[in-house]
Amino acid sequence: MSKTVDMPWVEKYRPKSLKDMALPIAKVSGQRVKLIEELIKFVKIFFKERKRINQENKRIKAFNRTVIEKEQKEELKISTEKAGILLEGPPGIGKTSIVYALANDFNMEVIETNASDTRTRATIERRLKETTKSRGIMDFITQSKEKLILIDEVDGIYGVKDRGAVPTIIDLIQKTQFPIIMCSNEYKTNLQPLYNKVRRFEVKPLAKGEILKIVHNILKKENVTQLVEGDLELLIEKNNGDLRGVINDIQGISQGKIDGNTTELILSLRRDSLEEIFTLIGNLFQVSSLREARNLTDKSDVDYNFLYKWVNENTPTFIKTNSELVNAYENLSLADEIFGRIRINQYWSLLPYFFDLFAGGVALSRNKTSEAKGFRRVVFPRYSAGGFFSLTNTQKELVEKLNKKYEISQIDFIQNLLPFLKILCGSSRKQLKNISDWLDLDAKEKKLLK
Amino acid sequence: MTEEIPIWRIKYYPKSLGQVSGRVEIKEALKNIINQRNFPHMLFVGSEGIGKTTLASLFSKEFLGKNFDANLKLVYANVPLSEEERKQARSEAYVSTSKLGSIAGRRITTPAFIHVKVKPFVQLKVLGDAPFKILVVKNFEALGSTQQGFRRLMEKYGSNCRMILITTKISSIIDPIASRCQIFLIPRIKFGDFKNLMVDIADKESLQLTDEVIEILYKISEGKIAQAIDILQLSSVTGNVIDNNVLYENAQKFQNDLIRNLLLISLKGNFPKSRELARKIISNYKYNSHEIFKKLLVEINKLPLSKYVRCKIIDLIAEADFRALDGRDGDIQISALLSKLCLFSEYL
Repeated sequence: MSKTVDMPWVEKYRPKSLKDMALPIAKVSGQRVKLIEELIKFVKIFFKERKRINQENKRIKAFNRTVIEKEQKEELKISTEKAGILLEGPPGIGKTSIVYALANDFNMEVIETNASDTRTRATIERRLKETTKSRGIMDFITQSKEKLILIDEVDGIYGVKDRGAVPTIIDLIQKTQFPIIMCSNEYKTNLQPLYNKVRRFEVKPLAKGEILKIVHNILKKENVTQLVEGDLELLIEKNNGDLRGVINDIQGISQGKIDGNTTELILSLRRDSLEEIFTLIGNLFQVSSLREARNLTDKSDVDYNFLYKWVNENTPTFIKTNSELVNAYENLSLADEIFGRIRINQYWSLLPYFFDLFAGGVALSRNKTSEAKGFRRVVFPRYSAGGFFSLTNTQKELVEKLNKKYEISQIDFIQNLLPFLKILCGSSRKQLKNISDWLDLDAKEKKLLK
Repeated sequence: MTEEIPIWRIKYYPKSLGQVSGRVEIKEALKNIINQRNFPHMLFVGSEGIGKTTLASLFSKEFLGKNFDANLKLVYANVPLSEEERKQARSEAYVSTSKLGSIAGRRITTPAFIHVKVKPFVQLKVLGDAPFKILVVKNFEALGSTQQGFRRLMEKYGSNCRMILITTKISSIIDPIASRCQIFLIPRIKFGDFKNLMVDIADKESLQLTDEVIEILYKISEGKIAQAIDILQLSSVTGNVIDNNVLYENAQKFQNDLIRNLLLISLKGNFPKSRELARKIISNYKYNSHEIFKKLLVEINKLPLSKYVRCKIIDLIAEADFRALDGRDGDIQISALLSKLCLFSEYL
C-alpha cells in the first residue's frame, strides 16, 4: 500500500473501467449522444469491419495471384469514419481516462503518443505504423492482446518540429489494423484535413453534481475531513468543469498542513493552466503593473506570433481616449519593429523587450479610461496587411477574360481599371450591358462591376 | 468582323509604336534602335501614367517581331510574391547536400523576387531568330535594396537578355544600375498632341468638344492619357455635348476620395472608423503599407493645414514607413500612424 501513498490522486483514482466513470455527454455534428455508448459501439464495429475486410482481402489476394496485373482488384480498406474518432473538449474532463478505461474493459493494450514526443513524420511512423499495418508473426501463434492507438493532444501538433504529422496520421487512419482515438483541446485550422476524415465528438465538461459525487468518494477513501461543502463548491467553480484540476486541488489542500481559513487558501490557489486567449486578452487590459502583464504572457501557451496581433485588434475596444491610444500604439509599433528585427537577425534573446512592449506597454497605456465594467467583446484578428497579393476567384476570372482581348496585369486591373469600370457601370446600365456583352460575363462578375 | 470595344481606353490603346501620340524624339530614337537590332539596357524615367510601359512593351514587341511572346516578360516589382511563389523560393533556397562542392547544403541568399521572377526567365536561351530576350521591370524603385541583385544579373546575362527598367524617379535608382543603362527621360505628352488625340477620339465617337474643355482635361489628367480618355467616356454617358460643367462633375468622381477621407476622419479624431476605412482601402485596392504611406504623403500636401502641422504629420508618416520596413505587420504601423493623427484633432 505504501507505493500508492505518494501517487497523485489523479492517477490513483483514474477509473479502471467504464462502469466507474461519470458519464460525459458529447455532441456529434450538433446532436447530443452518450459518449460511452458511442465508444463501445465504435470499437465493436471496428473489429467486426476489420474481420470482414481481412477476409475479403484474402479472397482478393488469392484472385489477384491468378490473373494478369491489369485485371487485378484493389484491396479493400476500412473506411476512415469507422477507423478513427476525435474527442475534443477542454482539458481535464476525462478524455484520456475514458480511452484507458475503454481499453481496460475490452482487454486491449493502449499505444499512446502525446505532445511530449516530437511528432515528425519519421517518429510517428516508427512508433505506430509497424503496429498498425501488420500484425507480428507471433500473433498467429499466440493469441496476443488487441491494441488501441491513442494519439493524445493532437492540437499540439505545431510548427517545424512536427512537420508532416497530419498527413502521416491520416495515412495511418487509412491503413490501420487497430482502432484509433485522438484527443484534442480545441478546434485548429491546420487539422482541417483530419476533421474531414473522422467523426468529431465535442465532449462537454462534467456537471457540477457529478464532480461533487466523485470528490466526495475520494475524500471518504482518503479520510479527509477538513473540507466543507461550501469550499468544495468554490473549488469546482474555480476549475470550471476541469475534474483533474479539482482533484489536484483537494490533494494539495488536504495533504498540506492547514491552519486558519481554507476558503482563503482556495481563492489564492491558481494553477498555471492553459489560459483561454479571450480571457487572457480581457485580463491583460486590466493589469496595473508591468509584472502582472508579464506574468500573464509568461503563463499562457498562446503563440506570441499571434498574441500581439490579438492585442493590435483589440486595443481600441479597451482603450478609448486618443492620447492613450497613441501611447499604446507607439509601444505596439515599436514591439512590431523589434520583432521584425529579431526574426531577421535571429536575436531571440531580445524577445523580453518585445513581450514587455506589446503586453505591458499597451495595457498600461490605459490610465485615464475607467476600468472596463461589464462585458467587452474580444475580437478575433482576421485582418493582416501586407501579406500575399491575391485576388478573389471572381476577380481572377474577370482579369482572365479581359486578358484575352487586352493585356493587363492583375495589379493594374485592381488599382486602375476596376475603379473606373465601377464608376462607368454605376453611371449607366447601357455601359454595363455593353461591357458584359463584350467580355461575356456571368452574373457574379457583373455584380463585381456594379 | 470588328467588334465594338465598349471601354475606350482599350479601344484607343495604340497598336504600334507609330500610333503612340506625341513624344516624337523618343519614338524616333526607339525606331532607330529597332533598325540597328541592338541596344544596351535601358532605363525609362517619367512621372506616373504617362505611357512608359506602353512605350516599352510596344517597342519590345516591334523589336522582337513574331517571337515576342516567348522572349518578352513584364515584371511588376511592387507586387508582393504570391503564396506559391514564396513557397517555391523557400524550397529552392538551399543547395542540395547531395551536390558536390563547397556550397552543398548552404543557404542561397538570392532575394526571393529575383530568384522566382527574374532568374528563370533571364537564364533561358533566346527562342527563334531574335538577337536577345527583353525583360521589362515596372516600378523598379519599389525593389529597394534588391536592386543590388540586378547589378550582377545585368552583366552576367546581359548578352542573353536586355532589360528595360521603368521608374518614376531616377534618384531612387542606385548609381551602379543607372550607369549600366541608357537613360530615357519620357516627357509628358505636349498639349498640341494631346489636343489632336482628343479631337480624333471626339470625331470617332461623334462628341462635341471645345478647345477650352480640352485644355481643362489636359490640366486635370496631368498628362495621363488613359485617365483623360476615361473621363471623356464617363462624360459622354450623359450626352454628346461636353461642356466645362459636365467635365468637372465627372472628373470629381475620379479623385481618389478614399485617401482624403481617411485623412479627414483621422484628423477629426475618430480612430475606430479611420482604421476600418484604411483596411477597406487596402483590401479593395491591394495596396501594401508602403504605398498607403506614400499616398497619404501626397494627399497631406493638398490639405489646407498650417506649415507646422504639415511638417509634424509628414514626420509621423516617415517614422511609420520606416518602422514598417523592419516590422512584421503593416497593419500595426498603419494603426499607429492613424492613432497619432487622431491626436491632432485636439490641436486643430
